[in-house]
Amino acid sequence: MSEAQKRIRWVTFAVLVGVALLLTYLDSTGNLGGALAVVRNPFTAVLSFTSTRSESAAGLLEGPRDLQTARTEIADLQARVAELERENEELREIEGEWRILQDLFNRARQSPEFTRQIASVIGHDTSPSIRSIIIDKGTADGIRVGMPVESSRGLVGIVFRAAPNFSQVALITDNASAIPARLGNSRATGILSGGGLGGPLTMDWVDLKYNLEIGEVVLTSGLGGSFPQDIVVGRVIEVNRSEANLFQQAVVQPVTDFENLEIVFVITNFQPVNTAIFDNP
Amino acid sequence: MKTSIYLAIPVMLALSVLQTAVLPYFSFLHLSPQLPLLVALAWGLLRGIDEGMLWAFVGGLCMDLFSISPIGLTALSYMVAVTAVLWLQQAFPTSHIIMPILLAALATAIYLIVNLLFLRLFGFLSNIQVITTLWPLVLLNTVAMLPIYWLLYGLDRIFRPRSLEF
Repeated sequence: MSEAQKRIRWVTFAVLVGVALLLTYLDSTGNLGGALAVVRNPFTAVLSFTSTRSESAAGLLEGPRDLQTARTEIADLQARVAELERENEELREIEGEWRILQDLFNRARQSPEFTRQIASVIGHDTSPSIRSIIIDKGTADGIRVGMPVESSRGLVGIVFRAAPNFSQVALITDNASAIPARLGNSRATGILSGGGLGGPLTMDWVDLKYNLEIGEVVLTSGLGGSFPQDIVVGRVIEVNRSEANLFQQAVVQPVTDFENLEIVFVITNFQPVNTAIFDNP
Repeated sequence: MKTSIYLAIPVMLALSVLQTAVLPYFSFLHLSPQLPLLVALAWGLLRGIDEGMLWAFVGGLCMDLFSISPIGLTALSYMVAVTAVLWLQQAFPTSHIIMPILLAALATAIYLIVNLLFLRLFGFLSNIQVITTLWPLVLLNTVAMLPIYWLLYGLDRIFRPRSLEF
């Protein structure tokens, strides 16, 4: 390879690094939002199609286990005929769907003051160090950045980016997530931090004067104005308390199964409080 | 090189869709192999640094489309990782088994370090300790590298057969 070719190679490398850094800077300062939404939008249909097929394929892999269960049931209930068994399976499918809908309905009934938009999960973050999901609803459906997202069980995260036909939701398990939270029984408040990949949720900065109990429910406190009050987040499974420290920490088991999220709600009528006015006194 | 970029764009877009919508359902320890990184590396091993670098850049940009991290960050991390290991590889003898495995492990480690540093810099990570949970990705990518490399090697042989010299 000649010197000139080598020079071209490293100039190309430097230019590409420069372009990558420029794009990163422009995107992190919010100057690429519109342009990127145009690029990302066409992929919604592709993601939706691919994600649905992947779920089915993943289900097929679990087939042998289900089949084994079904065989055991047939052995236990020998009187049942094959047609009834099939009918039973169909009814179970319907029951599963009904349960999801019931959970959604119950969730909506618990807090009727909120308007919710139902969305399907169509993708997960491609970066291994970031926990986020892609949902199939966007600005065309009234979704805006900053809207809280929950499942039928509890809090999921917050809308981070919104394009016309899809949105990206930062999960509460993400390493950079920090949510003001409160405990159900002791009323202690703290900050709920995500542990990232496989890491636990932890509630930090809890005053030592509170006696935390294992199993206590963790809810959003509403402090800071980013999330509504009293959305269930999880339960305390461990308390790290030392008199040598100023604060104690609780390890929290989230109520939402983030690995198997299929449907989420976006709370569309919650108005986050703008605290930016306090930034520059 | 010009044909290569026209090929890189659809291939990397397809791989990124796989990465976001398919692989999470078949993950191991919540992780799945970084296909665009491995394909860019394998392509670079077969076609040289210049093409590997370009494929890594395109692959990273495509991956960023489906991530909440700022666009360009994965492109930068992929490019640095792939270019560094391909440059390093020139000093070692060619091997179709050992070298792809070693380079995949090294490239993944470099990618993770660069990516996490920049994520921290841009406020997308509260602490860098998260890297301890990501090391299985090195193993996962190492395992996935050989089939990917051999697939591309086979395709390369079919579409660009070597001429015999006497």
